[in-house]
Amino acid sequence: MNRHRHAPSARILIAAAGVALAAAGCSSSSSSTSTTTSTPPPSATSAPAVAAVSTSQCGTKPGVAATGTPIALGGIVTNQPGTSFTDIANMANAYFACVNANGGINGHPIKYYIETEQTNPTQIAADARQLVDTDHVVGIVGNTSIIECAVDTPYWAKLGYYVIGSGIASQCWGTPNNITVNMGPRYSSDGAVQYAIAQHVSKIVFDQSNVPGTGYIAAGPNALAKAAGVPITDLTENVPISDADSVAIKEVDDAGPNGAVVLNFTPPEALVILKAAQTLNIEDHVKLWGCSTPCNTDFLAQSLGPKWNDKLFVNAELAPPDSTNTPTMNLYKAILKQYGKAVSGGIGSFSQMGFTEAEIAVHALESITSGTYTVATVNAAFKAVTNYNTGMLCQLWTFGNYPMHIANNEDYTVTPDNGKMVQAQGCTLISSVDPQIAAYRADAGTAALAPVAP
Amino acid sequence: MRIRAAVIVALLAFVLFGIPQLFSLYYVDTMTEVAVYSIVALGLGVLVGRVGLVSLGQVAVLAIGAWSAARLLFATTQPYPVVLIEAGLITMVAGVVIGLPALRLRGLYLALITLMLAGAITIVLDTINFPNGGRGFLGYNGGAITPPAIRLPSIAASDKAYFQYSVVVAIVMFLLVFAHIRTRPGRAWAAIRQSEPAALATGINVTLYKLWALALASFITGVAGGLLAGASHYLYSIDFPAQNSIILLGVVLMGGVYSMWGAVVAALLYQFLPALLQNWGVSADWLTILFGLGVLQVLTTAPAGLADQVPKDLARLGRLLRRRLARAPAPAGGDPP
Amino acid sequence: MPPWSDFEPFIVSGLALGGVYALSGVGLVVLYRATGVLYLAFGAVGAMGALVAWSLVQAGAPGWISWLVCIAVAALITLGYGLLFGPPLSKRDPLVKAVATLGLTLVLYGVMDLLWTTSGGEARSITLPTDNSGFTVASIQVNWTQVIGLAAGVVITAATGAFLRYTNLGTAMRAMANDREITATLGVPVRKVEAAAWLGCGVLAGVAGLLLADMVALDATTLTFLVVSSLAAVLIARLRSIALTFAAAIVIGLVHDLITPITSLTNYRDMTPFVLAAVALLVVSRRQVMSRSREEA
Repeated sequence: MNRHRHAPSARILIAAAGVALAAAGCSSSSSSTSTTTSTPPPSATSAPAVAAVSTSQCGTKPGVAATGTPIALGGIVTNQPGTSFTDIANMANAYFACVNANGGINGHPIKYYIETEQTNPTQIAADARQLVDTDHVVGIVGNTSIIECAVDTPYWAKLGYYVIGSGIASQCWGTPNNITVNMGPRYSSDGAVQYAIAQHVSKIVFDQSNVPGTGYIAAGPNALAKAAGVPITDLTENVPISDADSVAIKEVDDAGPNGAVVLNFTPPEALVILKAAQTLNIEDHVKLWGCSTPCNTDFLAQSLGPKWNDKLFVNAELAPPDSTNTPTMNLYKAILKQYGKAVSGGIGSFSQMGFTEAEIAVHALESITSGTYTVATVNAAFKAVTNYNTGMLCQLWTFGNYPMHIANNEDYTVTPDNGKMVQAQGCTLISSVDPQIAAYRADAGTAALAPVAP
Repeated sequence: MRIRAAVIVALLAFVLFGIPQLFSLYYVDTMTEVAVYSIVALGLGVLVGRVGLVSLGQVAVLAIGAWSAARLLFATTQPYPVVLIEAGLITMVAGVVIGLPALRLRGLYLALITLMLAGAITIVLDTINFPNGGRGFLGYNGGAITPPAIRLPSIAASDKAYFQYSVVVAIVMFLLVFAHIRTRPGRAWAAIRQSEPAALATGINVTLYKLWALALASFITGVAGGLLAGASHYLYSIDFPAQNSIILLGVVLMGGVYSMWGAVVAALLYQFLPALLQNWGVSADWLTILFGLGVLQVLTTAPAGLADQVPKDLARLGRLLRRRLARAPAPAGGDPP
Repeated sequence: MPPWSDFEPFIVSGLALGGVYALSGVGLVVLYRATGVLYLAFGAVGAMGALVAWSLVQAGAPGWISWLVCIAVAALITLGYGLLFGPPLSKRDPLVKAVATLGLTLVLYGVMDLLWTTSGGEARSITLPTDNSGFTVASIQVNWTQVIGLAAGVVITAATGAFLRYTNLGTAMRAMANDREITATLGVPVRKVEAAAWLGCGVLAGVAGLLLADMVALDATTLTFLVVSSLAAVLIARLRSIALTFAAAIVIGLVHDLITPITSLTNYRDMTPFVLAAVALLVVSRRQVMSRSREEA
């Protein structure tokens, strides 16, 4: 693999010379240690403008292909009709390819094994064993699946793996061995609900797809609404939805003219509900619509009309790619362009997550000075990542030795604006009225709150 | 006959002791699923091949077995074999109660009514969820952040041991079906398949024997569900989508419904082939396409399925090669460009 | 129990949902009567056409071209399947013919997920110009697409019923669906009639696919397996009466949506088609046990 990459990397070396100085937010140089202020900073937009970024910045030796013994990493992603997270692993792979072409990790290339699964627990367990027994991976990065955290967490814990991924199941946040860059359905729904509460809605209808863990997810929004004295109704829908009209009518009737409907669905399912409300002409029968993070895609903004501008508010976990002009964001776009042919969705939340996970892993690997990359050293390095500026999140990112991890608990709100998603609210902490958020902040202390330095 | 028995014993010995030693855990886990689904395919094979009842709802039946077993495993400390039998019996009762009125229908109508019933069962399971150690009759705690795993048999707590356990259970189920086929029910089924009115005329209680086949198929599918519960550790209703029944019928038709080997072939197609392709980085979509083409091929040209067709094809290929070799030297081997 | 006024909008949406079921249900019965095949790939073929249309629109093609292409894609796939697999399966029983179309369904389903992946969180939709205008009933807007969907169901029901009964081609189709060999010996050009039936039904699948992609969702899984719910109406009509299929579909849609606002039942509402079909079939079958064995087996 590395031999193949050699030819393009020579060209990059030449191209890199002109822009080599721009590497500010890049992976190797940005661990700030102490940040005590708790006010959300003016996020990514305050960084210096960068005209162009070369992918040569993703490694320590621009243009030099890594040829040492490979460091094996692995990831498990869902890939089934209607639900596919392969973009996340493919983007992580693109990042690793970029690192390998530019010096690798201390001369060692990263070999990344991607396993896919179809929401079958036995298969998911088998995938984990394949990565460990056959591929001999020393770290797990980029896992994104509907139920993988639930199935494999005991296995990872037994073998001493600390998994950096994104996820959906409750175990992705509630266990010592999993950490994510996304908030997942519960805390993202919290974000959407707390935005609605801040707009003084009189009632909230929280509707989600009937998948495992609906009760766990709904507990967050319910705690928030209860504390604010706003009545809340919990609904679930069987997916795929074939009767979106009646779903939309039910939600709107229940919320009332001054209420809010908050959705927690995959993008296609959210789209059919919102589109039904639009064709029924009832989207104005409520004060506002909210949505957890999956709705944050331009696909959705394009499919819906301008009627939804400032009507639909979507919780967004990562820096908006269009309006952000930071070195990290430009590096992300450059890597996507050069190495991301397998990333079908292009720029978007999924590939941003994959980028961020790979970036954290590379940062951790680069901190290993002994030159030995074993399960023990690599996972110790993962756990040791502290106050790392990913350039994609509102907060500095810390793994730490906690019984649970909600490393990303501060994020944005966006709204459609004629076919694009634009920022409606900057970085805002998810309320610690959610008992899980409160428990995490109690464990992690200031690390849970550390905002990105201005 | 004696040679055949020896071959089967040697094969089973290899499966039981060779596979856990020689294969990686990935394939051991995969073969556990093959063992489970060979029982499911066997049940469907009994229905389709023996009495001509095409069911498009076997995955829902499997889900009932898995649900019952999971509930019992969380609620009681009964030994595993007892739980498996209970899950089988519960599924059998459910299958018979649902199937009794449906047996009045035949052919296309019966197949479609099984699809309807499976759709309904899937929605019930979506709504009540699978047990995860919660309280109450349903045993589901929706708010659990780290629900407990479904327990494994104490003698088979490791992946390899559980694989062997599953294979032994599968062998017992195959023997159970074999015993039926070789005795009076098997003969009655054969008569019913030939001609229902003729079977009726010879004094065979058609409804009884059809129901018997349904009960047997439901029982072993329920047992398979119990095995699946252990292999899965955690069960979710999304693991049992109604469309999987369609794919299952497809692979069972491809494997062949008239021989018990067909069930093994079907299970290999359904569980082993995807694992193999996934390891080669081939998208699961290609497999869906392949299964679709397989169904079309089997239905148009090889109704007895692969278990019957492949030996014949190999024999034909062998004859063809022998004739070629006799006429001209074999072409030099080489990879295609 | 919510007050009656709460149910009013659900009557309107229930009629629309009934129209959705009717559209594919009626298509299935028409095909069954014309070819003797229960074409379970009806939804997948329509979805394929609609996704091709979506791609064309994304590439900048005008709407009407994409709609025509949608119909053409569905028609050609259906015709191709009919020509390729119709003859070898013609002597097999209806069940085998139906299961064979499940093979086509799986092939199309796999192809759609390969070509129109969702791995980047893609969400697609088709919008027809009739979507955003209409009239208001019970505080909700009924758009012209829904009206067209319902009307299409009525028109197809009436037109195909008349076609099969009163035209020579229609009579030939019905005869052939009953017994291909006898029809052939009577001098009917079997191949041509069959091709016409498949082509016509493919067109129907394309039209239905386009409307359903707009009214339900442009999603391969949803559209492919929507057929299963629509089959309920087909079963209630026992694969014969087009008018009864239509009526059953409307009833299923209404019952389904009227259950929606009832909190204790709302999560079970998707069982409506299955339960109604099961009950109807079992009640019917109590009266006639073995008498129909010839036509069904």
